[in-house]
Order: sequence, then structure tokens, then C-alpha cells
Amino acid sequence: MSSGASQPNNISKVRLQPDPFLNELTNMFERSTEKGSVWVTLKYSSDKSKLQRNKMKTAGEKIEYKCLIRATDGKKTISTLTDLYIYAWGILGWAKRSPAFPSFICDHSESPHDCIEEEGKKGQEKGSRF
Amino acid sequence: MVYLTSWDDFVERSVQLFRADPEKTRYVMKYRHCDGKLVLKVTDDKECIKFKTDQAQDAKKMEKLNNIFFTLMARGPEADISEVSGKEHMEAQPAKKGRGRKQ
Repeated sequence: MSSGASQPNNISKVRLQPDPFLNELTNMFERSTEKGSVWVTLKYSSDKSKLQRNKMKTAGEKIEYKCLIRATDGKKTISTLTDLYIYAWGILGWAKRSPAFPSFICDHSESPHDCIEEEGKKGQEKGSRF
Repeated sequence: MVYLTSWDDFVERSVQLFRADPEKTRYVMKYRHCDGKLVLKVTDDKECIKFKTDQAQDAKKMEKLNNIFFTLMARGPEADISEVSGKEHMEAQPAKKGRGRKQ
């Protein structure tokens, strides 16, 4: 993913609220079934520039960090910010319901523990591919 | 860039990378549905480690690493990940029940 200067006329990077992000992430996977790739990036972020962080550190202010989730298909980049572990998991779990998302991951997990139990029940197929 | 063949090594080094520099480290998942390939990358822009697979059985491993990074990035680098990384071992074991009377 490029991190170059933004171009005012071309909206290539979009910050979304978590729910719209889920929708768009699912669409992204569905659009990429025939060709192309989808990248999902997790980052520990304060959502503040280095200058702002340094100023806050100097002033003794506490910097709050959240989980920044970005997704791109090479054409469009979307992102969202969440500080809830369960919600961050839910984002990926929700996207799993898309038929285009790797179907080897459990189909309807609501939590990481549900997924683990589901995999245990299904058993493992050695050598099976995606 | 280095592709690691050992999953356990990849997880261990990933967590080390993140805890050494949480602000610069990112975890990237790349999926190509047409090829059925999944590549995981962890980098702090100085060091980069990768793990690739096309095997369905590795999905559970990816889930585990996702759990770990979600925990670390939402709760902080000092977050306890033992409950996330270790709990699947607990749940994989059958629940021990008390002895019942045979009738």
C-alpha cells in the first residue's frame, strides 16, 4: 500500500466507522474472487502525527492507542480505528461470512473461541488446500 | 525479507518485533482467492518476516496469530496474550467431568 501524498481529486484512502468498514471489507473480498489480492493490515496507532505525539509526551499527556485496521485491493484503501479487542475481532469475523473470504476459516464465528471449537469439530484434512 | 518455515518461530518473532517497537510494527495479511494463497507479514520497517501457505490446515494457526495481534494492538504491547494463545490448547482438550456412578 502506498503512503504517498494524497490527491484531492482522487479519493483512494477512506476512513470509515467500523460498521461501514465491515461492509466495504466484505465487498472487497467479493470483488477479488476472480483476480487480484486483498491486504488487511493491523497497526497499533494513536492516530496522531509524530509531531503531535512528541508534543504530548513533552507535556506529559497520556497518548491513547487503538487498533488501526486497513484493507486494500490495490485500487481502494479503507480503514477504521477501534480500541475494542472484541470488536476488532468481530471485523474480521464478519468479513469471514463473505463467500469470497477464505472458506477454510470457519463460516460463522462470532468469537475466536467459537472458531477454534468449530475447527476442532470439523477435524483437519491433511494436505487440503484453500 | 525472510520467509520462515516454522510457524512457532514466526509467531514468537512477530510478538518480539511488536513489543520491541509497537508504534512501527504492523501485521499484514495478503490473500489471493484465485491462487488460494495466504501470506502473513510482520515488519517494523527494519526487519521483515513472512509466512506463506496454501494449506487449509494453517487457517487455525492464522486465527491464533490474529487473536494475538488483536489483543496486543487493542490492549497494548504489555497485554497478557497467554489467555489468547494458550486457551485454544485448553479448549482442544475434552472437558473433564466428574466420575459418575455406573449403573
